[in-house]
Amino acid sequence: MPLKFKVPIFDVKGVSFAINGQKILSGVSFEIFNAQYIAIIGPNGGGKTTLIRLLLGLEKQTAGEIRLYGKKIKDFREWEKIGYVPQRASLIDENFPATVQDIVNMGRISKRGLFSGLSVEDKNAVEDAMMKMDVLNLKNKMVGTLSGGQRQRVMIARALASKPEILILDEPNTGVDMVSQKSFYSLLAKLNKEENITILFITHDIGVIADDIGRLFTINQKATICNNPKELLGCDDMTALYGIEAHLIHNHKHEH
Amino acid sequence: MFEIFEYDFMQRAFLAGIIIATLASVSGTFIVLKRYSMMSETLAHSALVGVAVGLVAGFNPLWMAVIVAVLSAWTIEYLRSSFSLYSDAILSILLSGSLAVAIIIVSLGGAFNNSLFSYLFGSILSVSGEDIVVISVFGALSLALLLAFSKELYFIAYDEEVAKTSGVKVRLLNFLLVTVVAVIIALSIRVVGSLLIGALMVIPTVSALQYRVGFLKTGLISLAIALLSVIFGMTLSFYFSLPSGATIVICVIVIFIISLAANKR
Repeated sequence: MPLKFKVPIFDVKGVSFAINGQKILSGVSFEIFNAQYIAIIGPNGGGKTTLIRLLLGLEKQTAGEIRLYGKKIKDFREWEKIGYVPQRASLIDENFPATVQDIVNMGRISKRGLFSGLSVEDKNAVEDAMMKMDVLNLKNKMVGTLSGGQRQRVMIARALASKPEILILDEPNTGVDMVSQKSFYSLLAKLNKEENITILFITHDIGVIADDIGRLFTINQKATICNNPKELLGCDDMTALYGIEAHLIHNHKHEH
Repeated sequence: MFEIFEYDFMQRAFLAGIIIATLASVSGTFIVLKRYSMMSETLAHSALVGVAVGLVAGFNPLWMAVIVAVLSAWTIEYLRSSFSLYSDAILSILLSGSLAVAIIIVSLGGAFNNSLFSYLFGSILSVSGEDIVVISVFGALSLALLLAFSKELYFIAYDEEVAKTSGVKVRLLNFLLVTVVAVIIALSIRVVGSLLIGALMVIPTVSALQYRVGFLKTGLISLAIALLSVIFGMTLSFYFSLPSGATIVICVIVIFIISLAANKR
């Protein structure tokens, strides 16, 4: 039974974001606690990625407050607790000189001192992350030569190498085939269940992971938080919340 | 065979060449991976403004080159990170702007002579003992900084935003990188020339990338290519009375073509 922290990992209060006067997010509030599995859905341009960028301090909200482990983002230092895999993760430049090991080593950056190589602890964490994501046998391969699904697993191994408490994934499925996606989803569910890692995941494949997720955030300028996603997916209110995209989700569900 | 080393000036030239090849290739690896290849050209032209001011006002041109190149590097980095401008456009603007300012200063001061010419094309064979000391001291400092932060700079080159969310001080390290590069360029233009330093910074790394190996090996191949080019270039320049900077650049381009052909997909 996962323990709940008294202090939430993320505490978001009345957050709004506008760019050039155009409102992207308006009055978003929620809390995220340890070991939750949360999916974020919403139409394109609805503000999903912006929300994640705000949570990571890559953008500054125009109103409201975001706290990470009780601290304001500018005062937060324990970034190794957060693993982030962006949308473009599997679209790495093929010429970039990086082996799988080079990329996963990056995950240990916050633990390493100046001039120092990898400590035994670093090496173990890197190997462990590669094993969990089933890429250990690829460690000397150049990332540019891997398939989309393999790259995706490498990027998550990098995020896991810092031993994070939360994984934030922004639709990391671009360029990944259907079979790889399915094994990827079961890996995420496993990380959540067995390692108690909190997962915050932007996806369009809500039908596929409906059984795994514990909460569902629907983002379309405003946020609707649903703590019982299965019920929500089955009800007609979904269309009202999600607009026209609701039908797409149901189609997805039938497809798989 | 080794008569080349019987001359003091050749010994100094080789020493300066080897130090600069090392500095240029190591810093160049990060510059190329960050898609900042044009940065070296721009900073080399900015350094010329410093040289021009130095020549006209009677200050030491080398120090003035360092100051102006560093200021220019900071301006570029500030514009890039604070405004939504295209990086290559910023570099292009500053490159031509710097050259224009340098030419005007020199013509107004009536100092458009061989002295400026030697900074344009370099004069590796007239490197003094004092030059070696300055290049060694600042070179060692720059190299130490690059190596100390190499894993952070590599991470930033891979993905700036992911690096930031991993706690890397991206903005600070970007400023550090461009500062170190500016210093290295300013130190090098006396020797290889402002028109040619960019080649020594960029081409070894681009050649090394053709071998499709990991980061460390890419860096080492790039270093080997830069050293080979300088050693071959200077030897050819000595025996055939060719301009040293240009000969070095031709050598590095030949190695690039060989690397490209050998690794054709």
